[in-house]
Amino acid sequence: MRTSISLLSGGVALLAVLPFLLSAGLLNAAVQMLIAALFASAYGLLAGRAGMLSFGHAAYFGVGAFATVHGMNALGGTGLLPTPLMPLVGAGAGLAFGVVAGWFATQRSGTAFAMITLAIAELLHSLAPQLKGLFGGESGISTMRMPAWGLNFGSTTQVYYLTLVWVLISLLLLHFHTRTPAGRLTLGLRENSHRLRFLGYDVHRLSVSAFAISGLFSGLAGALQVLANEAANYVVFDPAVSASVVLNSYIGGVGVFLGPALGAALMSFFGYAVSDTTQAWLLYQGVLFVLVMMFMPQGLVGLGGLAVSRVRRLGAARALPLLLAWLLAALLLAAGAVFLVELLQRLCSQDYRTLAAQAQGWPPVNLLDATWDVTSVATWAWPLGLMALGGGLLAFAHKRLRTPEDAA
Amino acid sequence: MDTLLFSLLNGVIYGLLLFMVSAGLTLVFGMMGVLNFAHASFYMLGAYFAYTLQGVLGFGAAVVVAMLLAGGVGAVVERFFLRRVHHHGHAHELLLTFGLSFIVAESIKLLFGNFPVNYQVPAALDGSAFSLGGQQYPLYRLLMGGVALAMFALLYLLLTRTRVGIIVRSAIYRPRMVEALGHNVQFVFMGVFGVGAALAGLAGAIAGAFYTTSPNMALEIGVMVFVVVVVGGLGSLAGAMLASLLIGLLTSLAVGIDHSLADLLGLLGARAWAEGVGGLLTLKLSSLASTLPFALMLLVLLLRPQGLLGDKS
Repeated sequence: MRTSISLLSGGVALLAVLPFLLSAGLLNAAVQMLIAALFASAYGLLAGRAGMLSFGHAAYFGVGAFATVHGMNALGGTGLLPTPLMPLVGAGAGLAFGVVAGWFATQRSGTAFAMITLAIAELLHSLAPQLKGLFGGESGISTMRMPAWGLNFGSTTQVYYLTLVWVLISLLLLHFHTRTPAGRLTLGLRENSHRLRFLGYDVHRLSVSAFAISGLFSGLAGALQVLANEAANYVVFDPAVSASVVLNSYIGGVGVFLGPALGAALMSFFGYAVSDTTQAWLLYQGVLFVLVMMFMPQGLVGLGGLAVSRVRRLGAARALPLLLAWLLAALLLAAGAVFLVELLQRLCSQDYRTLAAQAQGWPPVNLLDATWDVTSVATWAWPLGLMALGGGLLAFAHKRLRTPEDAA
Repeated sequence: MDTLLFSLLNGVIYGLLLFMVSAGLTLVFGMMGVLNFAHASFYMLGAYFAYTLQGVLGFGAAVVVAMLLAGGVGAVVERFFLRRVHHHGHAHELLLTFGLSFIVAESIKLLFGNFPVNYQVPAALDGSAFSLGGQQYPLYRLLMGGVALAMFALLYLLLTRTRVGIIVRSAIYRPRMVEALGHNVQFVFMGVFGVGAALAGLAGAIAGAFYTTSPNMALEIGVMVFVVVVVGGLGSLAGAMLASLLIGLLTSLAVGIDHSLADLLGLLGARAWAEGVGGLLTLKLSSLASTLPFALMLLVLLLRPQGLLGDKS
């Protein structure tokens, strides 16, 4: 307990000093990471704790975003509330829409629930471009952050701190929710809703309340994004937004409170870091998600717990080298796979096909600041060799890391 | 009148197409309880396989091979992916297929580009079937409807008249008993999954040539197919048929209607008020065509949560 508290306060302290360490561009990325983390935590409440899989969470995010944009533009541009309190508008809209949508969606449970959430999101997605007054059409709606409380919100640093404060408050509230009776009952929804019904609880109402709280914090995340971007566009209703929150949360691990947040922060950081160098980032994200679902259902956070338990069982001297070997193997495999995918992507690109048609052959490809001859065996042997090496090492480390308890 | 007839026909054929995709989905769901999120990806794979092979094999053979390939991919997904995570529960399976659908879409974007490809109806089939009131009706549309109808007849006969059909139906109903009688239920599951995927692949290979073949096609039809199975009732083949036709007709008829809610309110003398409110009230029904199925779904959920022909459970 004490270690986790000191870890957490260390993390918060690090977040607090980030503006002094990072450039403006990276700080912007940090703002996006915080927003993604909050959105994923809101999703985690629904998917992880209540066991309700929503595939349309972009709807609540987007409703919060547009409510905030209209709130900021209201009263001739002065805004309904002072800028720092503006996320409350998004949160309120997310809550209200969450109650309505949740009332429909939680009529059914399990698979049907998942499809209904998807359809509600698609309903908004298909309607939004038509309603120009409300959603601004193609160009979206832009707005301005008004000065308030002696702050002008002109610099990225101020926006960062505003976002940080709201995200931390929200995470605390979400965590507090898990400790309340209502939060405990949410867990009961996942485990055994029949039993809850026999105990006299109104299961539909409980489900709606869990859904609405998740909608509230999703709306808040949407509001923070509007504050950061000073604009909202109907692309926030895009299915890709819903998809990414699902992928992020499960990659992080929905079983642990901070799992979705960490997953989302990690994924959006990588997304930012590699978006210029690769077009296949979404593919890697999907592959990582499928690997996590198949081999480590606890998510990446669960991996840490697994490593700790190995160290305890085998002793640090034996376990640490093996864990390092495991990590190296994973990196080798990933490097080989990424190389292969990037090579294929370049070969299939429109530009290369034109070039190949002109040259009547297979011109070399540029990758990683080097030129690769497509027809030579070495080009293809590299990634395959890396992957074979990684696979071998992984099998070795995996076998050695197994303890008699696993077999039982 | 002719226009109405044309849109009715279009609606029925689009509905049949939807049924072709949703039949496999609802069959698999009834059998394994798995909602296959990647089902519409097989539709897309079918279209892209056929597009790629068309130059080598010619259209007809390409469609058949694309169907078989899509079925093969489906069998692989069941055998090596879904079966591995089966013990984690249905939610986990749903998430896995969601991830797979994501991978398929992204791979296709990577290999073929994030734009529609030039997959077209072959010239021999690109004629008109008949004309009514000066308007030509495309032959290919009728062909699509015909293929879909032939598929159902075949599927229906297979399920109700053959030994394989008896085993499949009993495996849906009592898998353990069927296993105890010496049938390989795992193999039956894989087979049904593969056949469902092949059906979707066939639909994609045929429809892709007529509509657009792009990396978004899976999502577009996938969402519609989910609406179909929810409206029809999960696991009910007849319900899927009914809902497919309903949604096909609804969307194609709505496209032709240029009236808005304001016009309706105008009959009650409230047009000025409605036009003052604007927004949803002044939107023409034709521009809402893609939204209507979702509205229908919410309505069905409100009035009959188990779906039109679903069991109450």
